[in-house]
Amino acid sequence: MYIIIIGSGQTGRRLAHEFSIANNVVVVDKNRHALEQLGERFNGMTVLGDALALATLEKAGIKEAESVVLTTGNDNMNLVVGKIAKEVYKVKNVVLQIYDEQKSELFKKEGLKIVNKTQLLVKVFSKSIF
Amino acid sequence: MYIVIAGAGRLGLFLAKKLAADKHDVCIIEKLPAVCRTLAIEARNILVVEGDAASAEILKQAKIEKADTLVAATSKDEDNLIICHIAKNMFGVERTVARVNDPTHMELYKYLGVDVPVDSTSIIARIVEEEASFTDFMSLLSIKKGRLSIVRVDIPEKSPVINKKLKALKLPPDSVLISIIRGPQIIIPTGDTSILAGDEVIAATLINNEKALINRLIGKI
Repeated sequence: MYIIIIGSGQTGRRLAHEFSIANNVVVVDKNRHALEQLGERFNGMTVLGDALALATLEKAGIKEAESVVLTTGNDNMNLVVGKIAKEVYKVKNVVLQIYDEQKSELFKKEGLKIVNKTQLLVKVFSKSIF
Repeated sequence: MYIVIAGAGRLGLFLAKKLAADKHDVCIIEKLPAVCRTLAIEARNILVVEGDAASAEILKQAKIEKADTLVAATSKDEDNLIICHIAKNMFGVERTVARVNDPTHMELYKYLGVDVPVDSTSIIARIVEEEASFTDFMSLLSIKKGRLSIVRVDIPEKSPVINKKLKALKLPPDSVLISIIRGPQIIIPTGDTSILAGDEVIAATLINNEKALINRLIGKI
């Protein structure tokens, strides 16, 4: 599968390592240092650039991508690029990380797949107690 | 009108004060508490809401559902885009206007349905370019989202349209001469008016025909 990961922070890098074992992975970040931190364990490509510029997304091959994962750490950035990936480029799987719970609920209704840390943690904690 | 402005930066603040002075009801949303405090003291005719405008809760506090227009004037395009999106899709605000910070992000504003994205960088660059290049023509104004353009053309001595009656000129389609400025005189042209060298012509044209019209009047480029 062809996967684009946008945002090379802790979560993005972990996912990149994991996914690149058996998939084609491209990681996009605007910070060169963040991309370098992927290290040698990462078996894929990187694109340096602003994810809000369509040129960057196209350089990363968004037209061919089957999945786009958004982990920039900026909710609004993830939402904007997520909507563009889904609605303009018709990417099949678009998954984004959102910190704000209200925003998560709001945009889930618009058909985006949203991962919310707090909601996940609450689930895990509850399970381990009850 | 009731207008909600997101972001009390230079643009947001200037706009809020101007609109309030024009007797509009204005609410401004700003993240920074210090800015809000000064604003509340300084501009008593402006309602101030402290918080992140990209959240439904804060927009509600600003009575967004009553707003005729929302202006997203923060310095981050992703924030402006989400603010407009929530205002339009959740609260049904009819008209969303946003400041485009980076011209390369313009397409996003169009895709996400912002009604009026204002790209100040390109607007300023255009004016500077025209002022700096001493050309015989200048775009004075563009309206209807840039589709219609009002231009000023200085008629040079070797122009092919000199001493011809306007009705004999073949102007490009969808363009019209509005007035001819000849020294102190302002002439509203008719079919029998002739253009002389040194005239300044003001014309309206669809943006696609702007070049053709200028070519016709100047006879080069």
